[in-house]
Amino acid sequence: MTDTPTTGSPQPEATAPATQAPSRTCRACGTANPAESSFCEACGADLVVLNAPAFPGGTAGDLAGGAAADGTAVSDGTLLASATPQTAPAGEESPLDVGWTGAVPSAVVPPAPADDDLLCRVCGQGHIVDGYCDQCGSPPPDPRDHFAEAPAAWVGGVCDIGRRHARNEDAMSLSATEAPGSRAVLVVCDGVSMATDSHIASLAAAKAARSVLDQPFPKGVGTPDAWAAAAGRALTVAVASANEAVAECVHEDVPNPPSCTIAAAVVEDDVVVAGNVGDSRVYWLPDASEQPALQLGRDDSFAQEQMVAGVPRVEAENGPHAHSITRWLGKDAPDDLTPHLTTLQATPGWLMVCSDGLWNYCSEAEDLRTLLREAAARLQQSGAHESGAHESGAHESGAHESGADESAAHKSGAGDPATRAINASTAAGTTATPTPTALAQALVDFANEQGGRDNITVALARLAGRGSTTSEATAAAAPMEGDPIDG
Amino acid sequence: MADFTAEVFQNEFLPDGGTDVHAIVRVTSTGASAGASGAGAVGLADPGSAAEVILIDTSGSMGRRGVAAAGEAAKAALAEIVDGTLFSIVSGNGTAQIIYPYSHQGALVPMSSHTRGEANRAIEGLRANGGTAMGTWLTLARQIFETVPHVTKRHAILLTDGVNEGETPASLQAAVRSCVGAFQCDCRGVGDQWRVDEVRGIASALLGTVDLIPAPEEMAAEFRSMMRASMSRGIASSELRVWVPQGAELLFVKQVSPTLEDLTSRRTAVNPLTGAYPTGAWSDESRDYHVAVRLPARTLGQEQLAARVQFSLGGDPVAQALVKAKWSNDDSLTTRIDPAVAAYTGQAELATVIQEGLAAKAAGQDDVATSKLGRAVQLAGMTGNDEMTSRLRKVVDIDDADTGTVRLKKGASKIDEMSLDTASTKTSRVRR
Repeated sequence: MTDTPTTGSPQPEATAPATQAPSRTCRACGTANPAESSFCEACGADLVVLNAPAFPGGTAGDLAGGAAADGTAVSDGTLLASATPQTAPAGEESPLDVGWTGAVPSAVVPPAPADDDLLCRVCGQGHIVDGYCDQCGSPPPDPRDHFAEAPAAWVGGVCDIGRRHARNEDAMSLSATEAPGSRAVLVVCDGVSMATDSHIASLAAAKAARSVLDQPFPKGVGTPDAWAAAAGRALTVAVASANEAVAECVHEDVPNPPSCTIAAAVVEDDVVVAGNVGDSRVYWLPDASEQPALQLGRDDSFAQEQMVAGVPRVEAENGPHAHSITRWLGKDAPDDLTPHLTTLQATPGWLMVCSDGLWNYCSEAEDLRTLLREAAARLQQSGAHESGAHESGAHESGAHESGADESAAHKSGAGDPATRAINASTAAGTTATPTPTALAQALVDFANEQGGRDNITVALARLAGRGSTTSEATAAAAPMEGDPIDG
Repeated sequence: MADFTAEVFQNEFLPDGGTDVHAIVRVTSTGASAGASGAGAVGLADPGSAAEVILIDTSGSMGRRGVAAAGEAAKAALAEIVDGTLFSIVSGNGTAQIIYPYSHQGALVPMSSHTRGEANRAIEGLRANGGTAMGTWLTLARQIFETVPHVTKRHAILLTDGVNEGETPASLQAAVRSCVGAFQCDCRGVGDQWRVDEVRGIASALLGTVDLIPAPEEMAAEFRSMMRASMSRGIASSELRVWVPQGAELLFVKQVSPTLEDLTSRRTAVNPLTGAYPTGAWSDESRDYHVAVRLPARTLGQEQLAARVQFSLGGDPVAQALVKAKWSNDDSLTTRIDPAVAAYTGQAELATVIQEGLAAKAAGQDDVATSKLGRAVQLAGMTGNDEMTSRLRKVVDIDDADTGTVRLKKGASKIDEMSLDTASTKTSRVRR
């Protein structure tokens, strides 16, 4: 949510005390104070706390225009690193064509304040006392309202409340192994807002499905068909398990038992299997423009039924009952919960699992690919710009990092010499490639800018395609509509 | 040890775009009564840490009978003062003089059977003579209290029977201002020759009460109860602290029970977001405060703290209430007005229209007076304030209470109008 923007004052976060200019600019009111000041002389704000990296700079919404993977991190008054993970020289190529060489390692968890647990994340000035900020009166944001996950450098996602809903009923659960393309599970569930406690149910469903899908699929006889069959069975079991988890959230008879959708994708050695029930979606967005961008599977929705009957997509998806879903998980779920299954041999590209909070504003797969490319290009540019700014010691206003990404920078161990060396070497003559989390955040920001009418979840996996020799990849890129049961 | 609690009554739900938050904060003390807790532990176990000054009007208008009755009232008050409490008696007319203790004893003496006897004899010597310059009385009282800076609980009783004269209103105002924070003062007017607004101004500024004593013979009982109330207060001084978030506007802070008192202008800044409002000495009692805050509207579904109201002793918060705001599009939540807020808002308006109506009547603006007092009758009826209705009935003839149709009573007595005026700020406690 970006309702309470910080001031447009110069951004002091990139300034370490050790290398600081002789003034310490107050982030609250913009006044320049002597470098050793603890408190702002104009407004009294605590400059030490305010300028600490745990301070969540801007809000999530600022990320798109900010540093995605900025390595600058100050925790104890030392300049830890100013390098930014970067790829080959930018040239004129699209970042998607350049290929994935991103380098921000390790997991990201929801914002973990390093210096001050009680610092207000809304205004950045006050502290939480009795559950509210003593400056702006805001309660600390519910961590359920916005969270990011990045289980590996090539997998990440953001789950956000949006602008108009009072509760985040979307859920997301991700896992991945370290080696790019090796194994990842992406699950997104969208709670039905008319039902009771759907925010609890959706999260339980996502976690239950993920824990089933975390088990490696049996290889069988080792043929692609055998793998696809095993993967399809695993996804069907995962959906059933998610369904049970939702049903278990109901402790007594409520008129509207909680329910949710599910969309899941598993990557195993650059092969993708996707399945969904309801109207959350899996998209395959290959880098190569000659390969089509695709929605994997199809919606269980009134709109989908209309489209099958010949109504154009735009009309169907904006009709009066467009968002009525015809299948869902929950106590009152229909008997047949077999997911719409698709398997796919990956080429270089992005695998996306998202809720309708995103695709409501960009439904066609080709449009979504364009949107993703533009967002990536913007992030890359601002990343390069940021990098230069840091090196020259200048401070850019309005370039804030999200708390999540700052903590990522912390957790990445940016301070240890080895990492610093790596970062420094990558910084030498390259530009930044956005992390999946940063890109997911950019898409969430896009949906919020369009109005954020629903909760928004975007999970992404960056796939390079094994060997990625063109002929092989193109041949394998055609999706195999699995669907042996779904007929 | 005294315990304080603070409760908040409010409807925290605001509609889309709503900005104004109203809340009633009830502060209740237990164990604050000086007599109740024996050793007290509230700092007033030692009666020497309290001082009382009795200011008696001895202007010519009091007459022999008036002065004699005032003397009896003073003696009744002396009888209530706990031994060890410092005290002094001041006679006031165009000037003010200490009639007891005697000059060689200083400005204040500790109460004992001996000093009480001496004081009673000194009171016998009071004679009615001269004018009324209450500013000089208050100034002398302040000077008396200033001789004992270590005494934290300082209280005075002021008795008058007439209009302030012999000094300008400005000099009275200046005297009152110089006394703010120096001591608390309960004021009583006897008869119908004094001006309610003038005396109310003194009592209000000095955190005291104002009331009418219709006849001299009733003074003794009134003084006894006033002094008893003062003696029971075990908490010397306190303040209400109100924090509002950055960007918010504190519209007003009012005491609404037991009496109406607008505290808004008495703010002293604790920090840029917090103001302190003095609330004087406390016994075991409960007082209600109405806090109104204007916030920048937030989006639907958002919540924030609108005000933090603390009751503090010596700068330490001892009780706290949180006033909240939540924006909702559910009309069933946002349109409800909290009953306490509604009741006190009505009572505040009732007090205002009574005072304005009586002032208009005194100024000869009968049409304004009729309309204001008509509205008062209507409000009293709507809020079920039967006591106020019966007081109003002595001043106006009521044709229709529901529509507020009234006629000014021809033969309304001055004393009835004054008693309506003094009663206007007394509110009936809203029950929860």
